[in-house]
Amino acid sequence: MSEKSPEIEDDTGSYESGLPGFLGTIDVVISKIEAIMLALGVILMALNTCVNVIARFVFQEGLFFSGEINRILIILVTFAGIGYAARHGRHIRMSAVYDALPVKGRKVLMIIIALFTSLVMFFLCYYSYGYIETLHSRGRILPALGFPIWWIYIWAPVGFAITGIQYFLTAIKNFTSEDVYLSTGVVDGYADTESEV
Amino acid sequence: DTWRYAHEEYEGDVQDVFAYKFKEYIEDHSDHDVKVYRFGELGESSDIMEQTQAGILQFVNQSPGFTGALIPEAQIFFIPYLMPTDMDSVVRFFKESKAINEMFPKLYAEHGLKLLQMYPEGEMVVTADEKITKPADFKNKKIRVMTNPLLSATYEAFGATPTPLPWGEVYGALQTNMIQGQENPIFWIQSGGLYEVSPNLIFTHHGWFTTAMMANQDFYQGLSDKDKQLVQDATDYAFKKILVHIDGLAEEALQKIKDASDKVTITRLTDEQIKAFKARAPQVEKKFIEMTGESGKKLLDQFKEDLKKVQSETN
Amino acid sequence: MATIMMAVMIGLLLLGFPMMVPLITGAVIGFVMTFDGFGQMQTFVQQMMGGIRPASLIAVPMFILAADIMTRGQSADRLINMVMAFIGHVKGGLAISTAASCTLFGAVSGSTQATVVAVGSPLRPKMLKAGYSDAFTLALIINSSDIAFLIPPSIGMIIYGVISETSIAELFIAGIGPGILILFMFSIYCLIYAYKNNVPVEEKSTWKQRAVSVRDALWPLFFPVIIVGGIYGGIFSPTEAAAVCVLYAFLLEFVVFRSLKLSHIWTISKSTGLITAVVFILVAVGNGFSWIISFAQIPQTILESVGVNEAGPVGVLIAICVSFFIACMFVDPIVVILVLTPIFAPAVQATGLDPVLVGVLITLQVAIGSATPPFGCDIFTAIAIFKRPYMDVIRGTPPFIVMLVGAAALIIAFPDIALFLRDIAFRD
Ligand code: NA
Ligand code: NA
Repeated sequence: MSEKSPEIEDDTGSYESGLPGFLGTIDVVISKIEAIMLALGVILMALNTCVNVIARFVFQEGLFFSGEINRILIILVTFAGIGYAARHGRHIRMSAVYDALPVKGRKVLMIIIALFTSLVMFFLCYYSYGYIETLHSRGRILPALGFPIWWIYIWAPVGFAITGIQYFLTAIKNFTSEDVYLSTGVVDGYADTESEV
Repeated sequence: DTWRYAHEEYEGDVQDVFAYKFKEYIEDHSDHDVKVYRFGELGESSDIMEQTQAGILQFVNQSPGFTGALIPEAQIFFIPYLMPTDMDSVVRFFKESKAINEMFPKLYAEHGLKLLQMYPEGEMVVTADEKITKPADFKNKKIRVMTNPLLSATYEAFGATPTPLPWGEVYGALQTNMIQGQENPIFWIQSGGLYEVSPNLIFTHHGWFTTAMMANQDFYQGLSDKDKQLVQDATDYAFKKILVHIDGLAEEALQKIKDASDKVTITRLTDEQIKAFKARAPQVEKKFIEMTGESGKKLLDQFKEDLKKVQSETN
Repeated sequence: MATIMMAVMIGLLLLGFPMMVPLITGAVIGFVMTFDGFGQMQTFVQQMMGGIRPASLIAVPMFILAADIMTRGQSADRLINMVMAFIGHVKGGLAISTAASCTLFGAVSGSTQATVVAVGSPLRPKMLKAGYSDAFTLALIINSSDIAFLIPPSIGMIIYGVISETSIAELFIAGIGPGILILFMFSIYCLIYAYKNNVPVEEKSTWKQRAVSVRDALWPLFFPVIIVGGIYGGIFSPTEAAAVCVLYAFLLEFVVFRSLKLSHIWTISKSTGLITAVVFILVAVGNGFSWIISFAQIPQTILESVGVNEAGPVGVLIAICVSFFIACMFVDPIVVILVLTPIFAPAVQATGLDPVLVGVLITLQVAIGSATPPFGCDIFTAIAIFKRPYMDVIRGTPPFIVMLVGAAALIIAFPDIALFLRDIAFRD
């Protein structure tokens, strides 16, 4: 068996904030927290599901709250992840028309995309906050865990807000710099690979 | 104008029949239209409830089991042996019960809902891989239940291992013996083909699948007196029709099952056998009171009183 | 209303907006037009949350996590080595091995992209060296990875199963037959190609080498046993099988092979979390979108206007295949499943089609679409990994697309290709 363990690739390992000074520090801290929530969320999901399977086999009975914990973790991972994906320019998009444009055109289009996406994210942030308020007033509870259901949705407005800010900053970044940026930290890499092939 | 009405079952099921009878009456007696949405069209059961509370839907049909997260007291229908078993007494119970006709509307009103009618869909029947006549027969059997803590408590009390599973996985899980049984009204056992993979039908007489039809309260309050009366009349009409519809529905489904399979066995518990299961009910009642507190206790007491009254009248 | 929604969505999509934006915008237009303003936007949020609620969705991150662990560890390589040791030496054997490796890796991984990476990276240089053209090699890798989408586990099938309320276990089992059929078709094509171009054969492995390769691959070969055996035998639900795969992949790579260090878990989980989030946000907004089109009765209107209801079951199946195929040529497969499945749901129900058969066909179309120009996530994955220009990557695809469409036609004509195993496992 091989003893050497290769360094595995971490394609979102480093993040440099596009923000200056103190704001930049906060941004980097937020990005670290998102990374922790993502990784921890997935690990907990795996643990919870595995323990549930084992419990079902050993004690003939699954854990009653296991499903609700996974439901919480899915929401956590999704909404921590959308901000993180925005930061690293990883949201799925169809870039064919965009890629065909010259640098100038791509820049303009990217600014429009970033601003509109940012707007959409703040729009959803507002309404998801409203939804939580409504749930709060209705007092629905999680049947097994017994606490109010609105708690599990808190990540939604937070995630939308962070994603909205990220896209807004991407627009600013494109305004203020020479290159085209997919996100505050990721330069649109297509021009580089084009020369390579 | 168009009134929107969502329920949680498929085409031709009991809630669907109720909804279409209601629609028929409204449309025949007024200019209003009723648009019925079936299961899944507007989301899950909890979604259509929220949409009714939000006023997007004017009417919703939701079974108390699903309402449990909103109104914990509604889970009372999962306590075993709290309802009469024969059809006549059940009908009388739903018509006369103080708990159902006076106490429940108040509970729903607290959540912005006007409870229009509670009605029974069918008696719960257990199917299993072996015949079951006493609690000991449930030992080590995984019985599929809807995700609801009180229903799980019932099967724990019976000695089984309750296993929550989504409806879509039930057939396969029975086929592959991942679970050894489940409970449902007989017409779902027939239409879902569950008897093919879980052929021992046991009539435990422990409960009825009950459901409730309601309106958004603001919408209802905003109606003219004439329209309020119209809604009440349409509900009464649908209720009357549904009682006729479910009477005989079970027999019919059972006959279809018998015609389709010769592996099927039918076990009807005797009064003596029922006693053993009934003896386990108090621990479920205790759990119910833990979950619902004083208001649940009052409801439970009233339920028992109503039951006594109906039974003394029929006997 | 449907026209405006669609026009705006397609416009935003083509301009390169993140996929969630066209879906959200389309849905918001639907809400605003239906309710005369923004008064009911909270229902959109409610439905977004409802979209990521089903417990079966947990299988998605679990299978991604398991595949990620295996791709970064040694499981994938060991499986490939074993296939090579057995069929590497026949005429066209290297190409057939590539297709077979994709199928075998597909049996442990839920995503086509993971398969492109895990199988394509080591095998493409070998094929080029052996004298296969790059166009053929790339097309083979991309299209064989489609098989991974059909062979369980399959993320596309999980998503379809969740939104159409179809048993995921049954879908999984039903995907095996079509997957093997396609492998068979591809193998014949490889054989023809190798004879026509007179590709030299590889050195034949000795039985000793074969024995070693089997021994090395023995542990990873348990993945399909866990997944298919577990579901077939009624031991696990698909979600549980996914969790057990994670546990097993962890034990293999961290304890048995010692190919990864504990600290890698962090990076791998984070990467899995990121992919999951990007998919699930689409599932969430897709559910909000399908709510409003369902509320406004758009599917019924569209289907009535094109007369699908009179077309009968086969007609509906063909309509579904054509729509999914075309849509997947342009749009991400997950998005297509999310948008089109609810549109066809009333027709599927009305014609009494088996939702499992429909699911298998949809999964196949979606897989073809991912490998079909102009757009396709497998094409883009290949561009990114192999650093080849777009035209080179797609040049060899036409024969494969013909074969895949042929496979779809065969399944429509003979549904038992898909349903045979399902019926043995889940029906009497
Ligand atoms: Na697969
Ligand atoms: Na495509």
